Amino acid sequence: MNRLYGWRGNPLYHTGVLAAALFAVVLVTGVYLLFFYRIGAPWESVARISRDVWLGSWTRSLHRYASDACVVAVLLHAFRMLVQRRTWGPRVLAWISGVVLLGLVLICGWTGYVMVWDIQGQVIAREGARWLDALPVFSEPISRAFDGSRALPGAFFFLNLFAHVALPVGLGAVLWVHVARVARPVLLPPRALSLTVLAALGAASVLLPAAQGSRADPFATAGRAPYDVFFSFFLPITQPLPAGLVWALIGGVGGALVLVPWLMRPRAARRPPASVVDERLCTGCEQCWKDCPYEAIQMVERTDGRWGLVARVDPDVCTSCGVCAGSCAPMGVGPAGRTGRDQLTAARAFAAERLAEPGAIVVIGCDRSAGRGAPGALAFPVTCAGNLHSSTVEYLLRAGAAGVLVVSCPPRDCWSREGVKWLEERLFHGREAELHDRVDRRRVRVVYAAEAEANLVVAALAEFRRDLSRVSAEGREPDPDVARDCETAGASGGAAT
Amino acid sequence: MTGSGRVGLGGLVAVILVAATAGLSRVPWTAELGDHAVLRLAWRFRSELVEACRPIPPEEQARQPVHMRRTEECSRGLRPYRLVVMVDGAALLEDSVAAGGARADRPLSLFREIRLPAGTHRVGVRFEPYGAGAPLALDTVLALAPRQVAVVTLAEGGRWVIRGGRIPYH
Repeated sequence: MNRLYGWRGNPLYHTGVLAAALFAVVLVTGVYLLFFYRIGAPWESVARISRDVWLGSWTRSLHRYASDACVVAVLLHAFRMLVQRRTWGPRVLAWISGVVLLGLVLICGWTGYVMVWDIQGQVIAREGARWLDALPVFSEPISRAFDGSRALPGAFFFLNLFAHVALPVGLGAVLWVHVARVARPVLLPPRALSLTVLAALGAASVLLPAAQGSRADPFATAGRAPYDVFFSFFLPITQPLPAGLVWALIGGVGGALVLVPWLMRPRAARRPPASVVDERLCTGCEQCWKDCPYEAIQMVERTDGRWGLVARVDPDVCTSCGVCAGSCAPMGVGPAGRTGRDQLTAARAFAAERLAEPGAIVVIGCDRSAGRGAPGALAFPVTCAGNLHSSTVEYLLRAGAAGVLVVSCPPRDCWSREGVKWLEERLFHGREAELHDRVDRRRVRVVYAAEAEANLVVAALAEFRRDLSRVSAEGREPDPDVARDCETAGASGGAAT
Repeated sequence: MTGSGRVGLGGLVAVILVAATAGLSRVPWTAELGDHAVLRLAWRFRSELVEACRPIPPEEQARQPVHMRRTEECSRGLRPYRLVVMVDGAALLEDSVAAGGARADRPLSLFREIRLPAGTHRVGVRFEPYGAGAPLALDTVLALAPRQVAVVTLAEGGRWVIRGGRIPYH
């Protein structure tokens, strides 16, 4: 997908926001359709919308296809989180609210199909009534509403319409919970991707208008009719089963989905540690608090007798993404083993062992990128490029590296959030814990390459090497003061804030 | 891959994905296979209220607090019925129908469906109260077309109403 659309346009990287955007399309088209829907004559009014209303057929088709695509996007989003094991710990709330969102989207769809009241709608309604009748809640079987002994009451369609309209409101509230634990949540995909998806669905709505089955008939068994797989997928599974078994199946699948965070949680010894703050080094600059993508850091009053604030990490909310390690100029925060100081220690050992020959290019590759084994360059692996402290880059350059190529996973494919964005800002745009002015920016480059895109790294490395050859030889020699400068620079940078 | 090739392939993939979405949105399927017909029995019936009382012996009363002592204990509810459906002389369904509600004070509600081969059938329905009382009975002939649903209901006053099945004679 990256080869076809680039990482910015790769829909697999934007499944969550695509689902939200598609839901917005469903809302807008739904409001328009609502003006023409009649609960007294549901099937006839939908047929009239398709036949007579201006843009009615197109709007109805777009409403349906956007709903279908929304289900696909939600499922892909959930699958991606599952595969990337981004479900446990602080992400439990997001996972469980996501499961609820999926359930609400499906129920919204079912009520929508019942509104049409064609054969599919009737089959869905009767199947739902059969399930509900198995619950010891209703004193009279709901299935009797569809028995044909009398006309279906308008109250049924009113209630169904009410549910179809009210559920999205609840869905919005759950969506708010879903993103409650992330800072600066993104709810819309890149504009180009949004417009492309909208144009594609709009074109499909013109070329392949949504079908409406025959009118529901209580005096005939449900014959062959068009069904929407995205919402009616359950019918072939549940219809042959007794209703009690269906409830057991729903409970089993729902329970398994809810338990995923606990089933997939690594053992305690293998869980990445939460960030910790070294309060002696913390200057209270608030940069880690601003940069934390999960709002896991709070600024609190100091208790050590010094004036001002100090950062404090809530370990229950921290995902150990390590972004704070790169944002702290005095290197006083980060997960154990990944703080700025830890990075400098590793860089020092790396330089002593492998940077003996001046002119080499160092490729800093993150765990999820293709940069961990770049041919013809010295690989300096890091867990996440977003953790990278600018002093580490400076140290490697001043220790003799001709250039530093940071290879990161594409930003929207990052297992954490915002790390690469802040890294670029720190390296090239003066964000706090910035790369010092004395460092020649031409010797530093950031490239995005997912694990399977080694060719991008090879190409970027070749281009970087060509560009470096044009850069003057100034600064290539190992700098004897590098260790002192980098460490004191980090400390003074923090004090300056 | 060249830039134009990438654009072309990307466009083709997008078209296939959207076409697949539209196609999967209209997959033909038959929810109920076969050309059988269906006899649907569906009604709501308020049976008579029955009350059963038993005297409470003095020693049992003595175990209760003074303010809760009663001389008899009664339970009441709507009388349950027994349903028997005969088709072409064979009993296809025998079932009990109890009153709804936790205290059995809601009307008896019935919803049963029986698959029958299309054609003409002699259908007998007997709905009789447990204990005492006259049964409600239907004996008729229905001609059912393939995939047709005949709905048998019990209207006010114990009158049988049949919808959807042609009655050849009667």
